[in-house]
Amino acid sequence: MRRHARRRRAAEHRFRLLGRAAVAVSIGCLLFLLGSMLVAGIGGIDGHFLRGTDATEATRAGIGAALRGSLMVLGLTLALALPVGVLAALYLEELAPRSAWATLIEGSINNLAAVPSIIFGLLGLLLFLGTMGLPRSAPLVGGLTLALMTMPVIVIAGRSAIRAVPGSIREAALAVGASRVQVTFHHVLPRAWPGILTGAIIGGSRALGETAPLLLIGMRAFIPAAPTGMTEPATVLPVQIFLWSDQIDRGFAEKTSAAIVVLLVLLFAMNGVAAWLRHRGEVRR
Amino acid sequence: MTAGTKMTVRDVSVWYGAKPALSNVSLDIEREEVIALIGPSGCGKSTLLRTLNRLNDSVAGARVQGLVTLDGEDVYAPATDPVALRARVGMVFQAPNPFPKTIRENVAYGLRIHGLARGRADLDAQVERALTRAGLWAEVRDRLGDPALSLSGGQQQRLCIARALAVEPEVILMDEPCSALDPIGTARIEELIGDLRGRYAICIVTHNMQQAARVSQRTAFFDAGRLIEYGATSELFTNPRETRTRDYITGRYG
Repeated sequence: MRRHARRRRAAEHRFRLLGRAAVAVSIGCLLFLLGSMLVAGIGGIDGHFLRGTDATEATRAGIGAALRGSLMVLGLTLALALPVGVLAALYLEELAPRSAWATLIEGSINNLAAVPSIIFGLLGLLLFLGTMGLPRSAPLVGGLTLALMTMPVIVIAGRSAIRAVPGSIREAALAVGASRVQVTFHHVLPRAWPGILTGAIIGGSRALGETAPLLLIGMRAFIPAAPTGMTEPATVLPVQIFLWSDQIDRGFAEKTSAAIVVLLVLLFAMNGVAAWLRHRGEVRR
Repeated sequence: MTAGTKMTVRDVSVWYGAKPALSNVSLDIEREEVIALIGPSGCGKSTLLRTLNRLNDSVAGARVQGLVTLDGEDVYAPATDPVALRARVGMVFQAPNPFPKTIRENVAYGLRIHGLARGRADLDAQVERALTRAGLWAEVRDRLGDPALSLSGGQQQRLCIARALAVEPEVILMDEPCSALDPIGTARIEELIGDLRGRYAICIVTHNMQQAARVSQRTAFFDAGRLIEYGATSELFTNPRETRTRDYITGRYG
């Protein structure tokens, strides 16, 4: 009996050590990345760097234009993907009749969310540049392309948030004579909103860090001016990092690290907001 | 149909998918009476309740056969709007399920969606009237803006009753309304059912036979999806015709 207890405690101890090691590896990687980028890049972050545009000389180069491009692309992405994604999620969960079609559509959306981003870049290239003849390298096309990529992510997150709304609330509303649409918009959507928004932010932060599809729609040119409109040529942060990382021999090493620090800070901030929303949603119910 | 009959149920059968839940049930719900539906778990009494206001419409695979009428009109006729029906046939559920909104908003919701209030003052008056009828006004008059979920379980259930009453239904369905409440909360709801009788036709599902005996004038006993016995409550509990009814009410099974 006593030996049994000792074995159990030893097993628990081993599991605890293993768990700590696993946590240490993941946190360690993140800290190493952050630390090395901070050491290499912190000196490069100043007002000029944050406001400036790309330049041929490393000392004059800044990420202001790329930041602005990123925000324009991200804004358009969310402005398109959030309403469409939320409507699709609400329709599929609350209104669509259960049928073979619904199952098929569910499956395709799940698959769509798993499609590699470069494929979306190709789609954007074909559809927006090829067929529709929109300008290359523009925030408009970048936003459209990333919206296609982000939409299925929002649909999936939205559906699970909607499914978490208890059925008793729906029945309560139906029983006082609310229609299905009223039930959906008066009761289900407000309850599911924090969860939906969390999904949207996570989808958005993925879009913010995306490089490959944007390279395909032409966002890889040297652009020495900040974009002033949705159809002007622009660059975005991750693409700027990618371009600079190719020129570290010409003094862009510090700039690359500095830009990475800025991008990471933005991503952490977005994920922080998502975590806060999720926490608030949990506390309220 | 007699003059006092509000709803009739004739040869109603309900299936969930291939599984029969209710077979050939016929009974009447009288205008000024409380009818209790009793029987062991899974006997079909809740199914019958959800058939009366077509709440089973939203359950995938549910199928209804037979005739249900409200004031002589076929509830399942193609021309009947289930949304309008549910405004006339209110429902209170097993576990209190207030909306996660304020107390006031819970009661006002039905009034709003049906456009029943003329302006703010009228809305307030109707909210007060519904809460008064549900015996909750005195307890919440100073805290109408508080979240409904801050109320006790019994208060929440009376709030749900007020929410149902606010749209002036003609029939109120109650699905084991006291099963999640303590004895004091239960007593208050039973007292309330007595107060509401006469104004609304009431149909209550209950597991508690003493409760059925206390609050109802008629009782229907179900077992395995069939209506076994249906009659005056005093008669059914003192002198049941069927052996199965006697066995159930004396606690031999169920």
